[in-house]
Amino acid sequence: MLRLRFHGRGGQGAKVASRVLGTAAFLDGYNAQDFPLYGAERRGAPITAFTRISRDDIMERGLVSDPDIVIVMDETLLLDPQAMPLSGLKIGGIVFVNTPLSPLETKEEYGIEDHVVTLDITKVSLDMIGKPVLSSLAAGVASRIAGIGEGALKGALEKELSGIISDREILGKNTDAALHCYNALVPVQVKTAETIRERDNVITLPFEIARVSSPAINATGNTPLRKTGNWRVFRPVWNYDICTRCMTCVARCPEGCIRLNEDGYPYADYDNCKGCLVCAEECPVKAITKVREIHSRSEEGDR
Amino acid sequence: MDTSTIISIKELPPEENMLPGTAACAGCGGLLTLRYCLKALGDKIIIVNAAGCFTLLTIYPFSPFRNSWLYTAMACAPAGAQGVRDALDILIKKGKLDPEENLKVVVLSGDGSAYDMALSSTSGAIYRNLDFYYICYDNEAYGNTGFQHSGASPFGSRTGTTPPGKEVPVGSQLQKKNLFDIWNSHKPPYIATVSPAYPVDLMNKFKKAEQFKGPKLFISHIPCPPGWGFDPSRSVRLAKLSVETGLWPLKESVHGEVEHTYVPKRFKPVEEYLKEQERFSHLFKPVRQEDALKSIQEMVDEYWKKHEFLP
Repeated sequence: MLRLRFHGRGGQGAKVASRVLGTAAFLDGYNAQDFPLYGAERRGAPITAFTRISRDDIMERGLVSDPDIVIVMDETLLLDPQAMPLSGLKIGGIVFVNTPLSPLETKEEYGIEDHVVTLDITKVSLDMIGKPVLSSLAAGVASRIAGIGEGALKGALEKELSGIISDREILGKNTDAALHCYNALVPVQVKTAETIRERDNVITLPFEIARVSSPAINATGNTPLRKTGNWRVFRPVWNYDICTRCMTCVARCPEGCIRLNEDGYPYADYDNCKGCLVCAEECPVKAITKVREIHSRSEEGDR
Repeated sequence: MDTSTIISIKELPPEENMLPGTAACAGCGGLLTLRYCLKALGDKIIIVNAAGCFTLLTIYPFSPFRNSWLYTAMACAPAGAQGVRDALDILIKKGKLDPEENLKVVVLSGDGSAYDMALSSTSGAIYRNLDFYYICYDNEAYGNTGFQHSGASPFGSRTGTTPPGKEVPVGSQLQKKNLFDIWNSHKPPYIATVSPAYPVDLMNKFKKAEQFKGPKLFISHIPCPPGWGFDPSRSVRLAKLSVETGLWPLKESVHGEVEHTYVPKRFKPVEEYLKEQERFSHLFKPVRQEDALKSIQEMVDEYWKKHEFLP
């Protein structure tokens, strides 16, 4: 039995990706299960989805804690202690990472020991669909790695996406993008041992009385530590030759993460800017442009 | 707080009483409203938060606030506020708390709580003349759990529980409750509708409310990018459109007397607002539902005719 785990961010389409993969496996003659796990459902929050594929009856239930294949749809999740995409991965397992880096670079960047496959599916999505929605593309790469046939993937995309996307043109673009990703990957042999990599980040908490164990927060204003800046697909960049220091972007930022420098010009706290780009949309003189965020590259233009 | 009115966004207080890094969606209109509200209220407050999207702003061990925060179930935030208010009053009376240290009590709730579940406890709190602020961020559905229909969902909208189908192509068949009037019938000292697209108006309303003791209520119509289905960057634009089309009147009521604080010079057609959102897309595609679009426009026109801003 193959066990897959998808890691994405809310809104990227991890749930739909696992669903399409499950259906594709079913159409290819396998038994399949697919289901998501939402924590606090929110755009940008880490989301996990699971798929089990087998020729035999699948009697196993519950979350997949020991996957053979992990699909990481947002590379910033690799460093996220809430998501921990690699935890429980079987030795010999395969990690797919959505990144512009090569597999070797990715292994070095994130210290991954396992077989790594990479493709910048966000770029494919932006080029072919026009939006960073990755559900069908992630299903494409997952199908390739899991060894599902192209015809079955096509059928699954039609079956699953036609219920969500009413526009035939967008559905067609999604199918094309998924097949592009499917064919961009070299087939791999999944051969995992039944042993799981040891992880030392599980802490057992002792039983405490309610006053100690209840979640009271005694610090104020500490959310900036969570650094939601890794949610971005695009970052706002200011052109100070045009900027009139009108304060519109400072006022309109839902996060309140645009500040002023000594000269009164605005700049973003990129550690926490989620990249909603309300600032760029509202700027009366169009002094803010959106620049594709590539998290694994050194942050050019950072102040 | 300085109660003189402000005239431009440059005069918004620079202090941020809510910090970034929350779990709220990118482009959340409610978060923008809350940021302005907290600029107006300052950090000497206690927020009593009814279950909803904003429960997730404060998740152990993180809080974005500079003030205290208490979490209650959806139906009982005003009751929780009464408890907090009583506790503060008792501490002051016993001399354990300096009256100078007194905190404002603020209820923060979504429309699911404010329009539906907490309506009775809200009514009770207003009836008892509880001295508190009530902020409702209204995204017109239960946005926290998958955008299900709420008492605030407007006619013609697609929600998780009112998908447009063959039998009912229009989506939601119910009209949005008029929470402003429900509250106004209790005659509290101050009620206002606000919008994140009009921060100056919002700020001045808080400054005005400051002078009243008793329930002070603020309803903010807020765009929800995932629920309404639009690009997060369009958030403020949509909030502005809801006001400019006349769908969300900016008004206030002092002891029951209603006055509009902003009336668009020329009302934009509601279609401009509707067509930008996925939740209304079924009204346009594959066939235009003329009757539904007309009845939404008529509903808006009727409102403004009643208040004599339209002939």
